[in-house]
Amino acid sequence: MANRQKGFLSMMRLAAASAALLLGACSHTVQVDGEFPQPVGPQHPLTVGVYLSEGFREFTYHEDSEDRDEWNISTGRAQENLFETVLGSMFAETIPLGQYPANLPSDVELVIVPEVRELQFTMPRETRVNIFEVWIKYDMHAYAPNGDSVASWVITAYGKTPTAFLKSREAALAQAINVALRDAGATLYTGFAKVPELQALLADKRRAISLEKIPSPTDTASAVDTPVE
Amino acid sequence: MVRALFGFALVLLSGCTTVVIDEYRRSDGELAKGDSVVILGRRHSSDYETEPDLIDCVGKQLHNPDAGLNIIPEQQFVDAMYPWFEPRTAPMHLRSLDRVMKNDELRQRLEAYGVKYIIWIDGSTETTASAGSIGCSIGTGGAGCFGFGTWDKESDYEASVWDFRDQELSGKLSADAKGTSYMPAIVVPIPLIARVQNNACKGMALQLQEFLLPSQTTKQKS
Repeated sequence: MANRQKGFLSMMRLAAASAALLLGACSHTVQVDGEFPQPVGPQHPLTVGVYLSEGFREFTYHEDSEDRDEWNISTGRAQENLFETVLGSMFAETIPLGQYPANLPSDVELVIVPEVRELQFTMPRETRVNIFEVWIKYDMHAYAPNGDSVASWVITAYGKTPTAFLKSREAALAQAINVALRDAGATLYTGFAKVPELQALLADKRRAISLEKIPSPTDTASAVDTPVE
Repeated sequence: MVRALFGFALVLLSGCTTVVIDEYRRSDGELAKGDSVVILGRRHSSDYETEPDLIDCVGKQLHNPDAGLNIIPEQQFVDAMYPWFEPRTAPMHLRSLDRVMKNDELRQRLEAYGVKYIIWIDGSTETTASAGSIGCSIGTGGAGCFGFGTWDKESDYEASVWDFRDQELSGKLSADAKGTSYMPAIVVPIPLIARVQNNACKGMALQLQEFLLPSQTTKQKS
């Protein structure tokens, strides 16, 4: 009796393993782990808080349509690295925020919150062009310390990679996503000061800094009146 | 002996390739001690991409520090200058280099690398035609393939040499290569591959070397 039960169990296990294998044959998983260089250039004179939500840090794109296989593309870790690196070198000081809007440090002048709006990709088989292509769209939000919205803008990133001999579709797609993420970083860095509201904020900040450097008339008068002994 | 036989077999087993190089030169290369050259691929087009392995191949063929030709690897350079040499931010024209020069940190970094020439390579290798078919079968008596396949490949590359310090175009050269590969299969498929991209790379590297080190190439010829 015990032997029959064991036999039945091992049969069930074998069936389950075969089913998983068959289902897995049409499913693709891509884990993107990118490291990104620090941007070269001047920093904006702001103390910025950066809030990367859990959904953003663990973002996985899932697609299971009729005309495509099942795809699970995890870009969370790579985009966390990218935004931490790029935003970390863009400003005079950057403070990573574990939560928002609660417990906001007092010296933060602006809070930046990115969100993934869309991710799309195409395969060489679909476009008849010998390249893998990826588009990622980010919604960027900037808030004042009191929680008021300062600016919202969109970053569109594009990446492509040629098909390579002996390279899997997953590896080629991961490479194209890394190119798209680099592009997102480049657009974030070069486009930040072109957003009108942020341009005005930066101009005000620079004006305030330059006024701080000029001594006030009362300071000058007291300096002149000081008797020289 | 085995090596020689292997080499001879490789020559016999490779398809034919023709390479045509055209050159337009405004000035000869002037590399001083400590100067370096960077070779970058253009990647802004939506329907093709200059292959990173071609850029790597040209760089490796040219790199010769003993002769005074120091090539900075593409990825190392692009990472060090991030985000100013990305597909969408890279200067497309010489006059766009002004924007690069306005960024003090970037200019200092370029100067620290000793960049004298930036060589942009634009183009790709594509399969233009293919014909034939090969069928393989497996049975109790064994396995085998029968048939014949052939395909044509074309490489079309253009290299623009920018003098970074003088901010002028020093020259342009193009490399067009064509080749046909064959694969007859009588039980076992025998690939006779035309190394089109590799030959375009070698042709372009040789011409660039002549441009960058004119005195040494003349010495070699004499």
